[in-house]
Amino acid sequence: MGLFKIILDWLDRRIGVREIVAKELTGYLLPRNINVWYSMGSILLFIFGLQVVTGILLLIHYVPDADKAFKSVTFIMNDVPFGWLIRMCHAVGSNMMVLILLFHMLSVLFMGSYKKPRELNWLSGFILFNLIMGISLTGYLLPWSQLSFWATSVATNSAGSIPVVGPFLVEFLRGSKLVGPATLGRFFALHVAVLPLAIAGLIGAHLFFLKRTGISTPPFGLKESGNQWQGDIYRYEDHPGGIPFFPNYALQDATSIALYLAFFLAVVFFDPYLFFTRESFVAANPFQTPAHIKPEWYFLANYQTLKIFPNELIGLSLQGAAMTFLALLPFIDRGSERHPLKRPLFMAAAMGGIILWIGLSIWGHYS
Amino acid sequence: MRQLNVTIKLAWILAALFMMPQAAAAATAGPVEIVCIQCHAKLPGKYGEPVKLWQGSIHAENGIACNSCHGGDPKDAANAMSPARGFLGVPKEGAIPAFCGRCHVGVLKDYLTSLHGKALGRGGPTCVTCHGNHNVVKASLDLINEKSCSRCHSFKQAEKIKAAMHETEKMILTIETRTAGFKQQGIDTDRLEKGLFAVRNSFHSLFHTVDTVKVGAESARIQAELKKLENTLNGIDEQLRKRKLIGAGAVAAALLAALLFYLLRKTFERTEP
Amino acid sequence: MVNDDRRKFLAICLGGLTASAVVAVGYPVYRYLAPLQKENAAGKVVIPEQELPAGGAKFFEYAGSTAVMVRKQGGDLVALSAVCTHLGCIVQWEKEKQDFLCPCHAGRFTPEGTVISGPPPKPLAKLPFVVANGVITVG
Repeated sequence: MGLFKIILDWLDRRIGVREIVAKELTGYLLPRNINVWYSMGSILLFIFGLQVVTGILLLIHYVPDADKAFKSVTFIMNDVPFGWLIRMCHAVGSNMMVLILLFHMLSVLFMGSYKKPRELNWLSGFILFNLIMGISLTGYLLPWSQLSFWATSVATNSAGSIPVVGPFLVEFLRGSKLVGPATLGRFFALHVAVLPLAIAGLIGAHLFFLKRTGISTPPFGLKESGNQWQGDIYRYEDHPGGIPFFPNYALQDATSIALYLAFFLAVVFFDPYLFFTRESFVAANPFQTPAHIKPEWYFLANYQTLKIFPNELIGLSLQGAAMTFLALLPFIDRGSERHPLKRPLFMAAAMGGIILWIGLSIWGHYS
Repeated sequence: MRQLNVTIKLAWILAALFMMPQAAAAATAGPVEIVCIQCHAKLPGKYGEPVKLWQGSIHAENGIACNSCHGGDPKDAANAMSPARGFLGVPKEGAIPAFCGRCHVGVLKDYLTSLHGKALGRGGPTCVTCHGNHNVVKASLDLINEKSCSRCHSFKQAEKIKAAMHETEKMILTIETRTAGFKQQGIDTDRLEKGLFAVRNSFHSLFHTVDTVKVGAESARIQAELKKLENTLNGIDEQLRKRKLIGAGAVAAALLAALLFYLLRKTFERTEP
Repeated sequence: MVNDDRRKFLAICLGGLTASAVVAVGYPVYRYLAPLQKENAAGKVVIPEQELPAGGAKFFEYAGSTAVMVRKQGGDLVALSAVCTHLGCIVQWEKEKQDFLCPCHAGRFTPEGTVISGPPPKPLAKLPFVVANGVITVG
């Protein structure tokens, strides 16, 4: 303890660490009625960190060449000590990231935290959502299995229905007319460099907006659950008499992360192949399309929507419209009420949307 | 008024775009069919039947098409069936074993030494008698059955051989299933698959000597080879069991951590204002 | 105060758990990053030269699968894996034709292992060997 204090004093005299600790940690007050859903963001940050670390480790042995990619992944899975563990953590982690992200998004929707003055937070989060979808899609191709190859073919093909620029867009995405080595090259660059940097940058922005505006108060157990924001000048939303972030809510975050880890490790060690199909372990063969190629579970609703409409462009446009609606939600839903049970119109639309998405996904799985 | 004009123009453009036919749908279409299939698939009766039969075969599954056996040119419709391009046509009964034996060398050798082979042309069976000609499927013990064998003689002899092969065949199928299971878990089963294929092939090829004594004797040797494969599979099983054990420990540790963090937080709640 | 004691106890427990977690994570990562040791010591095979006349071949077990040693007509020695690169059957040496023929689907290889005809996608894998004092050592 003596040494710790000496170092702390040394740093404090130079950069004022005690002041930082007081402002950001022990003095950073959160609303008393804060709930566990507010941990989702920290869990996502943890998952992202794990993906980056396992991703870097995989980079050491993975070869991004169409002729060698599949073999290099087999090498990692079989011949590198604990390679199987690193790979499965990365593969399972990517699915977990999407799952927890959906929970995070839902909790924000239900607690009305996207409403003013937090529109920028919502927008940066929405962009992050799209980037995560993109990084999942690009990562999927890298093992160069039958599933990778053909799922990417189907996914990139859907852009072809856009009028005028469609076919050009498909070729541009793929780097060639059909999925091939050129596709692997650009998807690898996107997955390993461009998207992680973009995601990190946007996480920074997202956290900045959160800290600058002040964390929202959950609308539960309050007399007045409506938005109190005046909208005249900038004001930090503080919570006098609230609980300190450190150590109180930080420990809640730690508990949530530990629980997530238990769930994550259970999947990794006991059923990591939950998300894999037979075609995941057969090397890509451009001349043989397997019978039932399906995208990952989080794309099933999109896949099924495209299948429903005979004109692919209609299916694509509907999805574009839905996403645009979601992105602009804080500007469309201008009501100040935040408690879910006091927003019947929102609840009806939200529940309808969720049931529709789940229904389409299940249909997509069985079709 | 101007707004209405603009709106109408926009509506027309949108309608036109929506009605545009699907583009680039052909991007994921597979390779073009060979000329043999292009023609024969549309022909009636015995000229068109082989196509459907072949499509369900193990040959089709592995990219062995019409010209692989019958010769000819699969890309040039005009000269597809020209002897100059190696077209062999339909083989006569006596030429069938050599026809299939162009690829299935080992089987041909065993067949020719057998009583079946010696009876070729004198009422004896050819390859297609038991295996069919176009709908050839993966060989299994089911090909030796009462209906098929009693066409020419009593089933008793065949039954003896089938019984002698039964045990070994069961071992082969079990190894195949276990290997497929491991493949689904990312285990590199290349060596196992190759090893099993070699043993299975030599075993099935052996049958064509239709010599019960020989089959019985060789079965012991083949089972020894299979035991080696089984040992490898057992080793993998053991490895996977160990991993699960470690996994259980890791999950327990994470749950313990969650509990400790939770309790620690609770100690601060008492001092929360 | 009871609370303080409780806090200290929990903190120590967590400290211990964290330390073991660091080891539990650090060990696999270290093994993963550490340079791989090639298993060279595994059974070298010794063959006396006189067992291989010109135009002859000898099959033997090496590294868990079947291998073959060939002495070409010119006297050169070649050591190859005898596992056909198509589906895994063991190739046979044809003395009259001086080539390898796979009995399963008639894949044909030169004495050097290059594919002549048939379905094999790749040549037979070459094996390292040295010759000294009339003795061939494979591996």
